[in-house]
Amino acid sequence: MDILKKNYFWWNKWTGYSLLILLLVATPLFTIFIKLFDSPGGSWSHIANNLLMGYFQNTILLLLGVAIMTFLLGVSTAWLVSNYEFPGRKYFEWLLILPLGFPGYIMAYTYVGILDYTGPIQVFFRNTFDMQVRGSLIDIMNLPGAVFILSITLFPYVFLITRSSFLQQSKTLQEASFLLGANRFKTFFKVALPMARPAIVAGIALASMEVLNDYGTVKYFGVNTFTTGIFRAWFSMGDSSTAIYLAAILMVFVFVILYLESLQRGNRQYSAVNGIQKPTARVHPTLGKKIFYTSICTSIFLISFLFPFLQLVNWVSLTYTKVVNQDFFLLIFRSFGLAAVSGIFIVILSIVLLYALRLSPFKWVKNITKIATLGYAIPGAVIAVGVMIPFIAMDKWVYGNLFSSQVAGLFFSGTLFALVFAYIVRFMAVGYNPVEAGFQKIGIHVNEASRLLGARSTRTLLKIDLPLIKTSLVSGILLVFVDVLKELPLTLILRPFNYQTLATKAFDMATNEMIAESANAALIIILTGIIPIIFLNRLIKKRKL
Amino acid sequence: MRILSLQNINKKYNKADEFAVNDVSFDVEEGEILALVGESGSGKTTLLRLIAGLEHPDSGMISLMGQTIVEGVKSLPAHERQVGMVFQDYALFPHLTILENVKFGLKKAKGNREQIALETLKLVGLNEDFSRYPHQLSGGQQQRVALARAIAPNPKILLMDEPFSNLDAMLKDQVREEIRQIIKKTGITAIFVTHDTKDALSTADRIAILHKGFLQQIDIPKILYENPVNPYVANFFGKRNEILATPTEEGFYTTFGFISDLEAKKYTGKVILQFRPEHGEVVQRDGQQLTGKIVKISYFGSHQMVKLADDEGKRVTIRTNPGRSFEGMERASFYLWKYDVEEAF
Repeated sequence: MDILKKNYFWWNKWTGYSLLILLLVATPLFTIFIKLFDSPGGSWSHIANNLLMGYFQNTILLLLGVAIMTFLLGVSTAWLVSNYEFPGRKYFEWLLILPLGFPGYIMAYTYVGILDYTGPIQVFFRNTFDMQVRGSLIDIMNLPGAVFILSITLFPYVFLITRSSFLQQSKTLQEASFLLGANRFKTFFKVALPMARPAIVAGIALASMEVLNDYGTVKYFGVNTFTTGIFRAWFSMGDSSTAIYLAAILMVFVFVILYLESLQRGNRQYSAVNGIQKPTARVHPTLGKKIFYTSICTSIFLISFLFPFLQLVNWVSLTYTKVVNQDFFLLIFRSFGLAAVSGIFIVILSIVLLYALRLSPFKWVKNITKIATLGYAIPGAVIAVGVMIPFIAMDKWVYGNLFSSQVAGLFFSGTLFALVFAYIVRFMAVGYNPVEAGFQKIGIHVNEASRLLGARSTRTLLKIDLPLIKTSLVSGILLVFVDVLKELPLTLILRPFNYQTLATKAFDMATNEMIAESANAALIIILTGIIPIIFLNRLIKKRKL
Repeated sequence: MRILSLQNINKKYNKADEFAVNDVSFDVEEGEILALVGESGSGKTTLLRLIAGLEHPDSGMISLMGQTIVEGVKSLPAHERQVGMVFQDYALFPHLTILENVKFGLKKAKGNREQIALETLKLVGLNEDFSRYPHQLSGGQQQRVALARAIAPNPKILLMDEPFSNLDAMLKDQVREEIRQIIKKTGITAIFVTHDTKDALSTADRIAILHKGFLQQIDIPKILYENPVNPYVANFFGKRNEILATPTEEGFYTTFGFISDLEAKKYTGKVILQFRPEHGEVVQRDGQQLTGKIVKISYFGSHQMVKLADDEGKRVTIRTNPGRSFEGMERASFYLWKYDVEEAF
């Protein structure tokens, strides 16, 4: 009797599901890659001759400017809160993360509003001192303005990662430096900073990815970058081939950043070897310095969060009677629904991918599965183009083969289906990482114990693994939810005709000179975004204890 | 009856690595307790996981109760093998109560699950409130629950990964004996993995010694101890002394003195005499025996270890009873009542 039948050790149904998901998720990337070998579109030569240099220049200046600014803002604040005791330090630890909840485009038009002729600053100077501030002095609708806006929304990435690196540096290392005669200043530059370098670069790399992904800020400020170029080629010129060429160049930027990041990290291990580390004891500086440190952190917090936030609240109080109506609630309902569906799908797909990995006897499966999470490094506009092209092809096929051309409507492209699919490709990593961490935390033994007790892989997943990682699943859905809610460029390209989400509505209103009205949708996005930020911070603090 | 049979099992984790398990073959008889003993990296845990179906060998065959369960690229999935396993960290399901944990592996068709679970918990000596959760129990109690969970479905074979490693020394002796009794009471065939020879000697019927993926020797403890097939196995069960000797017609000349032994004439070149500390005895009287300078005396409560050195500083250790006093003595004599002779070159 052959009880082995078709039981091959390397095969289970999860491997099959996993391969299918990987194939689907990778489609947009393959599309861009393959289309690159087609001839460029008709408007390519026009763009190449007249606009391409500008795109390059602006994109690189933007990247450099944001890198320098986020470095200064992020590292200085991280060093202060992890090394000194000063009034409010405990609160700044999480207050300085809040700007992450501000999508760049909302920050952009909020600041335009603040600095406007009718904004609070000019009104204050006019009414109090009867001073006329010249508009050009504080015109931020330009490249430096975009650098400023993106830096104050993105510096928390550098702050967060660098702070956790400073906290992990052992007390003994710094003490050794002091005993060797270095003061705090020298210790910072010779010991703490070099040791935190991988973390700082990782934070700046993350911020750079967001810069490349940004469409709203640069579009609003009239700064032409590759992202705006893709939009122009796609919408204004209707030239998909040119859009793909631009998308491909943008991808080169992404890979260069990822490569530089991995290059500087190398094989070096900067964390100290010993298992348990005492965190560095915080210093109590003199009163003068305490006031100085508090005021630095306070100013950064005011500029990067509180002022724009209060401005939004002020606008909401002026306009909510006009804006908040049945349609507005429908908008919220729709956006939340879209975000929730995407979050749930992503977490379910992540479970399947990671469960296949968990059961697989091969190590290389892990590397393949990582493909699913690549989307997070790829700008939304690029993904949108990569999703649109195969979907349009499918529509064409459906019309050509199944229906006469009289049937109206699209089946794939321009539907919510395409939009949700693109969100899945873009944000898979956001849901995948918490689920992966959850599986790692519970270990493989409970799963193996269950299977040895006769439970099939599916029963084991449902009865043992999933109940044990409930928290990870919820946090995965929540994190995706917030990211989808904020997402702008991908939504603008792929949304069904006239379909609005909170993000697109806020952006549309702002670009149509209805900044105050747009604040209602913006405020909901920001308030929702703050929840997981606080959640995330608690996770990081727990790890440090 | 033969329950489990492994034939020429090979396993590598990575292509570049050495074999974790290297051409290992052995059989396990019904009702016996087999210990797999070795240092970390010897492949003992890998073997256990191969039997359980949690890993797949690169080559070789495994059969369980006469049925082939691993051959070539085919493998009976773990959940169909009916193999019980107690993990080193117990791997109890933290979100299920003790009773639910034990009931988990029981099939509905097999009669009253609750009753079987309760009986098994009683068998392993647990009388707690079974509606409690694993984290509310002590380590020792958790281990019993893990054992109950593994044996409740009446598996074909029971596997245990380092079952005694998490227990403190005080508990260990007691638990070893209890677990042996529980296993023997159920008549189940068991294999356990340990790095501690004491665990193996006190609990197992047979012991398999593994080193760098190779099976060195598999036999009953007495034979492993007294007739080890190679120095590795011999040294595994404690210190062995080695002294260089020159054979003559009447015996062996050593740096500690002369040993009369008619066997010596069988050898021509230099030989090494090997003996365990307990195979010698320190004696008061001087004379024909071997003598050495007393270097160190270590007191262990139940016995003492005496280190003796020859003129060149070469040392041997002899075990002696705890009551003996060496006060005022610079040298001591000893004789050997058992030793192995090995050609030196």
